[in-house]
Amino acid sequence: MALEDYKADMERCSQCSYCKWIPFDQVKSWRFAKGCPSIAYNNFLSYSARGRYAVALSLLNGQSTYSDRVVDIVYKCTTCGSCDVSDKICRYNLEPLEMIHELKFRLVEDGQVLPQHTALIEHLRKENNMMEKPAAGRGDWAEGLDIKRVPGESAEVLFHAGCRFSYDEELQETARTAVTILKNAGVDIGIMGENEPCCGGRAYDMGYKEEFTRLAENTIKAWTAAGVKTVVTPCADCYHAFNRLYPPLGAKFEILHTVQYYDRLIKEGKLKFSKTVPMRVTYHDPCHLGRRGEPYVPWEGKEKKIKNQIVIYEPKKPRYNGAWGVYDPPRDVLKSIPGIELVEMERIREYAWCCGAGGGTRETYPDFSNWTATERIEEAKATGAEAIVSACPWCEMNFKDAINTSGDKMKVFDVTNLVKQAI
Amino acid sequence: MALAKEAYRELEEVVGKEYISDDPALLDCYRYPLSHTAIHIGPYYRVYTPRGAAVLLPGSAEEVQGIVKVCNKYKVKFKPSSTFWSAWGFPLEDDTIQLDMRRMDKILEIDDKNNYAVVEPHVIGATLQAEAMKVGLNTHIHGPGASCSCLASATALGGLGPDTLYMGHHNENLLGVEWVMPDGEILKIGSVGSGLGWFCCDGPGPSLKGLVRGMVGTNGAMGVFTKCAIKLYPWPGPATLPVEGKPPAYKAVLPDNLRAYTLGFPSWKAWADSCYMIFDSGIGYVAHRQFNMFGRDLKGAMVRILSDPTRTLSDIEELLKDPEVQKMTEDMKRDYQIVLAGMTPGDIEWQDKALDKILEETGGWKVKAMLEPDLFNWSLLYMIRLGHKNLNLVFGGGYDGCFGLGGTPDFGTSGEPARVEQVTAFKVEWEKKGNVVACGGDGMMGGIGGMGGGGHSLWENFTHFDPADKASTEGTFEFFNATAKYGAEKGLGPGMEKMNDYARWTDGYTTPKEIRDRILGSAAQPEAFRYQRKFKETFNPNDLGDGYYRTLDDPDE
Repeated sequence: MALEDYKADMERCSQCSYCKWIPFDQVKSWRFAKGCPSIAYNNFLSYSARGRYAVALSLLNGQSTYSDRVVDIVYKCTTCGSCDVSDKICRYNLEPLEMIHELKFRLVEDGQVLPQHTALIEHLRKENNMMEKPAAGRGDWAEGLDIKRVPGESAEVLFHAGCRFSYDEELQETARTAVTILKNAGVDIGIMGENEPCCGGRAYDMGYKEEFTRLAENTIKAWTAAGVKTVVTPCADCYHAFNRLYPPLGAKFEILHTVQYYDRLIKEGKLKFSKTVPMRVTYHDPCHLGRRGEPYVPWEGKEKKIKNQIVIYEPKKPRYNGAWGVYDPPRDVLKSIPGIELVEMERIREYAWCCGAGGGTRETYPDFSNWTATERIEEAKATGAEAIVSACPWCEMNFKDAINTSGDKMKVFDVTNLVKQAI
Repeated sequence: MALAKEAYRELEEVVGKEYISDDPALLDCYRYPLSHTAIHIGPYYRVYTPRGAAVLLPGSAEEVQGIVKVCNKYKVKFKPSSTFWSAWGFPLEDDTIQLDMRRMDKILEIDDKNNYAVVEPHVIGATLQAEAMKVGLNTHIHGPGASCSCLASATALGGLGPDTLYMGHHNENLLGVEWVMPDGEILKIGSVGSGLGWFCCDGPGPSLKGLVRGMVGTNGAMGVFTKCAIKLYPWPGPATLPVEGKPPAYKAVLPDNLRAYTLGFPSWKAWADSCYMIFDSGIGYVAHRQFNMFGRDLKGAMVRILSDPTRTLSDIEELLKDPEVQKMTEDMKRDYQIVLAGMTPGDIEWQDKALDKILEETGGWKVKAMLEPDLFNWSLLYMIRLGHKNLNLVFGGGYDGCFGLGGTPDFGTSGEPARVEQVTAFKVEWEKKGNVVACGGDGMMGGIGGMGGGGHSLWENFTHFDPADKASTEGTFEFFNATAKYGAEKGLGPGMEKMNDYARWTDGYTTPKEIRDRILGSAAQPEAFRYQRKFKETFNPNDLGDGYYRTLDDPDE
């Protein structure tokens, strides 16, 4: 698809404002009713899905040209997909998140890029990671672990740590713990270590489609050559890339997030807890595991009209609106840990508030990113929880950074950390 | 002519650099598309409302005051809007200053002893309702739904909606206003102006509420309303709606004192009789012919689609062949939805018995399919929160109402054949041309009882089109010309389809004076518009509003 292919959507967008809020049925308070961090922070209509439709149409129609403001509008979006969920409450035939991606792709094609992104992508090309670290150190996180190395050895399940878990010294222990838990539960698991590729998902959300495609094709090739059938990852961004973005490129692997694997093992009696973890916690749904974590459904078709002017698709088009994301497995895992009391925030599941780390905003708009994370911490505090738990290293780091800035006492955990405490 | 640099600088000083922009692409976000209430803009395709000179995001009444004073100094028109639902929230002229009231979004107070809330412009129905419910109260949510500004509806528009039966129109619920007048002075209207709190919008002395808003409101053309008090009503339900299910098919299992029914009737006379009986008996919390906005032939299928997260519009044709859906659709042919809210267990039992008696006497029925637990709980949530109102745009992306059968319930249902059937037959013929959705001609949607809880109903015949399709857009425009002509010939009253014509003409700009004078001069009670002209001359001496404020010259001028 190209940006021009969404022109009809741009004209059909009716400025209903649903994209700015969580689904209205789910509004429980004034304080936590907003859904889109971008317009909540920036306020002008242009920083919403409707606004981006209008900006794109203005550009396509030649009514305006690129400006610093346009670049700001386009890139100051976490691509969290909140707009996509709320829009589709009423609009069954609009795809705002797809359009926003296409708009980013177009700006990159036209050289309208941000220097912070350019530096990251340059590094990604050379060193194969989004952490601006040397490629050679990617496997260091697993040093000393007795774990199979793929492709030299074969394993039923490949553990893909992802860039942040591989390089972030504060988080590496989580990756070590996760792979150890799975191994100890009897999973025949291996890692690629320094040969592990970057998933490319974050490059995609920044607008670098070409870079993403190169990485994805390389990864698919490497996995296929290694005989990989199942991949498990503790990173929500990687999960989304493998689960949603890779299949159209020919990938046919079973993709699981670690929380799904833990949940499976617990229910099969292969992962048991012997310790109590007395803690009141709340769970943050990562966008890429939740509303953007719906399974890919192949579709090829075209728009058609029935009853004169009702827009439908032939054959029936899959409807992605967050309904089928990964929501229950992490909650079931937490609930199964003795002593854990899980309390819910107001905005959860498909209408969860974003952590603020996505779409390249953490790297380019730190104030916006930090504000978005702080909003979530405030929501977590309102539940009375002492810890916010997530299943994504990007969310975790953004929350930790926000807490460091604000001086809050809220603790931040990955689900894996609590599973370890209970074993 | 762009805004003078000096004026821009002064405006920037008022709100701060962060909250003003004149970037062309950003300004294009503040131009209204053709999707609804703008379909009359011609030459009917891709002509949007004029581009403003700058957009400002004021954060307080004092900032609004500062902006208005700068506008007066430089004689620049300004247009405030809160949630931008309709064409009347956007400039009528180039180089108008657009005020986006989004930053003023606080619920300042909920007084649960005196049943009112004080709100800023960007408070919407969903958030006010959610907060009010926590203290056992509820707010009227007007027809455009939970996404829209309560203040804008209460001060600048009519504000009727499905719950008007119990909670009135928004104009009836206005209990006080803080108004930045067109010359920049701030005036507090009603009891709050005398330092007595927000309990009454009238007095002391002559009611300024009537002067400021009248029946239909100022449409954002007479200064800026920065705060208002809105009356709240009892809510006999939980503090938080217990919503469950997958999107978009959310449902709420509410206590037994809250019940939602779809009522069907054997004739239009029975339909109207039931309305009068409901007014007489005083039952009901929400009452609206809601799901008919999808059309007489399609609403059964649409209800099935909307209440099932696995379904899409691509299922319509299959569902239309389903005998159960066909039966449901037939049962709902002459229908409306009603929510009963019992304040006590005895009250709900009494209301339900009264409703059964009304149905017995009129030959009506509770549509069985809508009593299935999933549909019951889905429609209950739908009607109470009104969070799916923009489904009126689901088919092709555009809709507008036409005809607008406003009056007592039997105004639309009397005649031979009934007026509703006359306009249905008229629309069916136009549906055959292919430019609007073929829904069976009857897309009549509206409340059964407004005006303080009874006596007046208003239906608009929803017409769905595709704003990205030139033939559809032009065909819809032609259809609306025909409906306006038909409505005038048949004495049906002004149609919804032309409601912007007196202000915004086919080029998207202010309607030429001679046309405007003809439209307003032929409307009911034109003297009111002559009175408003004097009011405008007094309060808006530099004429910095726009043509959405209805004024007429004296006949001898």
